[in-house]
Amino acid sequence: MENLHHKKSFWSKYIFSTDHKTIGIQYMVMGMFMAGVGGYLAYVFRYNLAFPGKSIPFYGMLGAEQYNAFVTIHGMIMVFWVGMPVLLSAFGNFLIPIMIGTDDMAFPTLNALSVQIFFLSAVILIASFFVPGGAFGGGWTMYPPFSAGGYLNHNPDFFKALFSGTSLLILAVALEFVAMLMGGINFLVTTVNKRAKGMTPWKIPVIIWFLNIGAVIFMFSVGPLVAGAFMLLFDNVLGTGFYDPHRGGDPMLWEHLFWFFGHPEVYVLLLPSLGVLAEIVPVFSRKPLFAYKTIIYLALLSAFLSVLVWAHHQFVAGIDPRMATFFSIGTILISIPFAGIFLSYMATLWGGKITMKVPMLWAIGFIGLFLIGGLTGLFLGSNTFDIYAHDTYFVVAHFHYTLFPDIFFGFFAAFYFWFPKFSGKELNPKLGKWHFWLTFIFFNGLFFLLFFNGLAGQHRRINDYSSFSLISREPYQTFEQIATISAIGLILSQFIFLYNFISTLRSNRKSVKNPWESTTLEWLSDSPPPHGNFNPYPVVYRGAYDYSLPDVPEDFTPQNVPNPNNN
Amino acid sequence: MDTTIATSKPFERKAVPNGVLAMILLLITEAMLYGGLISAYIVNKAGAMVWPPPDQPRLPVEVTGVNTLILLSSAVVLFFFSRRVNKIGAIDSKSTNILLVTILLGATFLTIQGTEWARLIGYGLTTHSSIYGAFFYTLIGAHGLHVFAGLCILFYLYFSIRKASSFEIAKNKISTCILYWYFVVAIWPVLYRLVYFN
Repeated sequence: MENLHHKKSFWSKYIFSTDHKTIGIQYMVMGMFMAGVGGYLAYVFRYNLAFPGKSIPFYGMLGAEQYNAFVTIHGMIMVFWVGMPVLLSAFGNFLIPIMIGTDDMAFPTLNALSVQIFFLSAVILIASFFVPGGAFGGGWTMYPPFSAGGYLNHNPDFFKALFSGTSLLILAVALEFVAMLMGGINFLVTTVNKRAKGMTPWKIPVIIWFLNIGAVIFMFSVGPLVAGAFMLLFDNVLGTGFYDPHRGGDPMLWEHLFWFFGHPEVYVLLLPSLGVLAEIVPVFSRKPLFAYKTIIYLALLSAFLSVLVWAHHQFVAGIDPRMATFFSIGTILISIPFAGIFLSYMATLWGGKITMKVPMLWAIGFIGLFLIGGLTGLFLGSNTFDIYAHDTYFVVAHFHYTLFPDIFFGFFAAFYFWFPKFSGKELNPKLGKWHFWLTFIFFNGLFFLLFFNGLAGQHRRINDYSSFSLISREPYQTFEQIATISAIGLILSQFIFLYNFISTLRSNRKSVKNPWESTTLEWLSDSPPPHGNFNPYPVVYRGAYDYSLPDVPEDFTPQNVPNPNNN
Repeated sequence: MDTTIATSKPFERKAVPNGVLAMILLLITEAMLYGGLISAYIVNKAGAMVWPPPDQPRLPVEVTGVNTLILLSSAVVLFFFSRRVNKIGAIDSKSTNILLVTILLGATFLTIQGTEWARLIGYGLTTHSSIYGAFFYTLIGAHGLHVFAGLCILFYLYFSIRKASSFEIAKNKISTCILYWYFVVAIWPVLYRLVYFN
């Protein structure tokens, strides 16, 4: 590796760097740390559910208010401080410039600013636990009146209200959005303007397409939520009454503004992970990706549909039944593009030379688990069933079956796949397989039985079922205990990963340049890539999935190999 | 299996400059922000029995009408500025003076808005006097903040284009920054119509 830049201090190299790879890794490390925080919160309230009234190891007694706060902040952290930074920002920053064959993002300084703002937002979020009154506990959706200080909040004390758990949470989320917005603009400008020579739109790898479509959905839907969040903040600190029906406000307004963003957000989280699958599945099947263009069109269709389904979260809120039918149909329709994308991945597997390396295990695990999450989503999309299942453990199990594979299986698939690239080292595959199987088993142990708890009518926001003898009957309490024990197992399994990660970084098991024999541009660069990524910069002649071409000796043909048939 | 032809510098497409593209994306997000605020306002207004509430002061329609013309004229002046710069292909002092006129018009708009706000607060229209007041200050205040941000951007433009190392750089900066001001001006008549005329 040639030394393109002068020697830098630790601070300018790792903390205030503008290099896209360092920023990607900063986002990843912060996301992993926040996943630890979110996991710890989950452990505490899961323990309380299984063994109510018992003192919790590593925490103590959990009161009802703290239980609510822990559930709320767990949800917030996992979506906004783990899913978003890890899937969108870490993948986007690390992969976009290097997979499109350029040196860095279009606006490196803006990028560095984005990661600093994100750090600040995480600090504010965690600080909200330590203000008087504790962290906000009204659910991660922040519905008023819980989030508006109640309905008698006419002339609040500005500073007291500003330093409350509610206001700090709103501020933290707002700052997080600013960070993600800066990142999203950077992704799109970089992808549009800085692609390698010859990389026409249909030669861009699927993950780059999906990250950008995710950024577009985010940017399109976030505005109304920011507007609503400011109104909520004003209700808290100025006493405006936007969501107070006594003063002519409307609490339903918040639900619409929140879910107009909140539902597209799940596709912002889903698309990057689906992109990871599109990169991994062909590599370990040694086959071209099935229906590349169709996958892109389906993702664009899903992006369009994603802003037309939000009110399916409000079927029990008393919305017009005609509207409920419209949103039911939209919700069921949106499963079609995603079913199409998953079918394409399975068709890619069909007849391929499949090797079950660690990234492939995570990818296949993702497809399998997401199927359960997606199918239960179809039931919930129908408003007749949703009115029964609303706010039960059925919903909890459903969205964990979508989001857990999406965030964690997607992340681990990508991590095991690109780790040799960003570190130049090789992870221990045996530990990787242990990590996968234990995570897979404990995840199912945690959430599968909760579907039955939900169908039996157990409500998700009750901290202690022993006070409700009618619904706390067996076997549902045993199911809760199995779920909690699995949750503890799930958290402990992650230490295998941490051990593997740290011991590999400290070892010198050097990886070869292109360990998976993949075709995309990032594998042309050194591992870890130097500042500037490439020298010389590649020119692209073919799509990203040329595996097992008929007249070529190797079973993969990188994107920079001239194509005699085309050009 | 190695590259046959390669470039020593990263390839860049120039059809839309980076700054302009980023500004367009930012403005789409901003438009959606206003979309959220405006739809919240319309929903609330439609659900109210009497709008505006009888015990609340009337909004200054005439003064703000004049103010609207001031803001619109600032955009016209800015248009002449960018046309002149593109035509003569350089930044001269007359061009920067035209830019300064835009800034002055924008600042005038903001000052008049500020004095009107002070009077309204005196008459008893505050953020918690009624939801009418809350929406007024939120919608108009959001726009006021955007005008202020736009003025900062134009000030930055005023100082940076005179020091720009090449005309190309200055031109890119101009086409990026003026987009923001056009947006701020374009959104105002919509808000004026929605909020001041009931």
